[in-house]
Amino acid sequence: MRAYVEIAVKKFQDKMAYRLDFFMGIVNTAITIVVYLCIYRALYGNSVEVDGITYQMVATNFVITLGLSNAFGYNEMFLQDKVRDGSITNELLKPVSFIFRLLAENVGEGAFKLIFHFLPALLFTMVHTRLCPPQSALHLLIMFGSVVLGYLILWLLSFIIQTWSFWLFSVWGIITIKNVLVNILAGTLLPLWFMPAALRRLISYTPFEAIYFTPVRIYLGELSGAQLLLGVAVQVIWIAVLGVTANVFWKKGVKKLVVQGG
Amino acid sequence: MGELRIAAQSLKMSVRSRMQYRVDALVATIAVFVRESANIIVIYLALLKFDVINGWNVNELLFLFSILFLTYAIVVSLFADLRDFSRMIREGRFDRLLVRPRGLLFQLILNNADVIASLGHGLLGILLFVLSAGRVGIQWNLVTILYYTGAIIGGVLIQGGIFIFFSALSFYFVETGSIRSIFYWNMRKFAGYPISIYNRLIQTILIYVVPFAFVNYFPAQYLLRKPDMANYNEAYIYIAPFVGVGVYLAAYLFWRVSVRRYYSTGN
Repeated sequence: MRAYVEIAVKKFQDKMAYRLDFFMGIVNTAITIVVYLCIYRALYGNSVEVDGITYQMVATNFVITLGLSNAFGYNEMFLQDKVRDGSITNELLKPVSFIFRLLAENVGEGAFKLIFHFLPALLFTMVHTRLCPPQSALHLLIMFGSVVLGYLILWLLSFIIQTWSFWLFSVWGIITIKNVLVNILAGTLLPLWFMPAALRRLISYTPFEAIYFTPVRIYLGELSGAQLLLGVAVQVIWIAVLGVTANVFWKKGVKKLVVQGG
Repeated sequence: MGELRIAAQSLKMSVRSRMQYRVDALVATIAVFVRESANIIVIYLALLKFDVINGWNVNELLFLFSILFLTYAIVVSLFADLRDFSRMIREGRFDRLLVRPRGLLFQLILNNADVIASLGHGLLGILLFVLSAGRVGIQWNLVTILYYTGAIIGGVLIQGGIFIFFSALSFYFVETGSIRSIFYWNMRKFAGYPISIYNRLIQTILIYVVPFAFVNYFPAQYLLRKPDMANYNEAYIYIAPFVGVGVYLAAYLFWRVSVRRYYSTGN
């Protein structure tokens, strides 16, 4: 465990070295937030609420979701590059589990972005837009836990597709399509409240709803009591299902691995 | 005539090199298409619930988007090397062009075409145009068709000019990626929607600094005449097709002046 914490801390420090990246990350996040808040403002026009959802709730959902989705982005071509140039063998020789080592590195990067991209963007938004406060301190606390679970779901989805590099020439296309699905079905761009009913029901059977929307609903107090427990339980179930799947693909892939030359 | 032959030959080479891995090229094209569709799908779903955004209905928005995609498809088939110019300089590949008996910009424009991006954006642009053009109340006659064609060419020249401008900046600064990311890619994000939904600052940038408003908003206004046009000078919709020529010429002059400063990074 100590080793993985070290890896995460190292990655965090690595990221600190690139000041320009850091500055650009904030600007890009802030601009995307402005664009979409303008769009939602214009969509709302003069109405105070639509389907019981106020503009303020939409703005809150959007800022949290977008901030998290930016913070949770990382190099998804990592495994493919390692498989292509053969350096994956070095990784396999190391005395740490590759899966947890990669997770630790990505968590370190995510933590960096959360603090240095998301927080400034959040403050920037709060200057010009009023956001909803959390339902209660307890809800806020549970939301933090739920965010971690959401991150694991997203990470496992990505890792499963990355392991396909053992079989495919390039996974770039599939990863791109996966990201589009996440952007739409996890409600990154349009809150799931406004999805057509049939689509919304479909989404509730997929892991997508459990990534961002569950934490947001906990924060807003839409999920309380038994419903809250159910929401978190669904997150845990998805992590178990995806975790087992990821492990199967990884094991099969490593067995199939042939590296030419040396 | 020789120039045209070189152009055709180099396009053929771009296509062939990308088609070496057929399945991968197909998946990549679909991926670009799907990635770019995401915004469209989202705004479509949003308008199922909200009906209009600042007076624009879903078909009118799709029409606005289609211009952005169609022009970009042409831009990446011509200006791909200028889009990735700072990398070209870093890797020393620019030096090769200096010893060839053709103009530099001519070579840069013809050398590479980003076939995948061009197909992805182009197919989406055509699809959106087909879906929307008949349903937004445009009288397609000689004048509107001429205007539309001019606007597309103008839109290509504006974006090409912007790429040339940022490429020329590489002769002054080592790293231009971030300034380009702010001013090109982010402004492009804004441009998909009617610019009247933004605050004054963003509108001013889109009209006067990185003139994306003349790529799709003002041309679409000529054809659609939405009420939010009242916020802007009527003349903008008539000069829209010509703004591209001005932007391109200005960028070209800046390039001519800047390229003299070039010293190779290599050896």
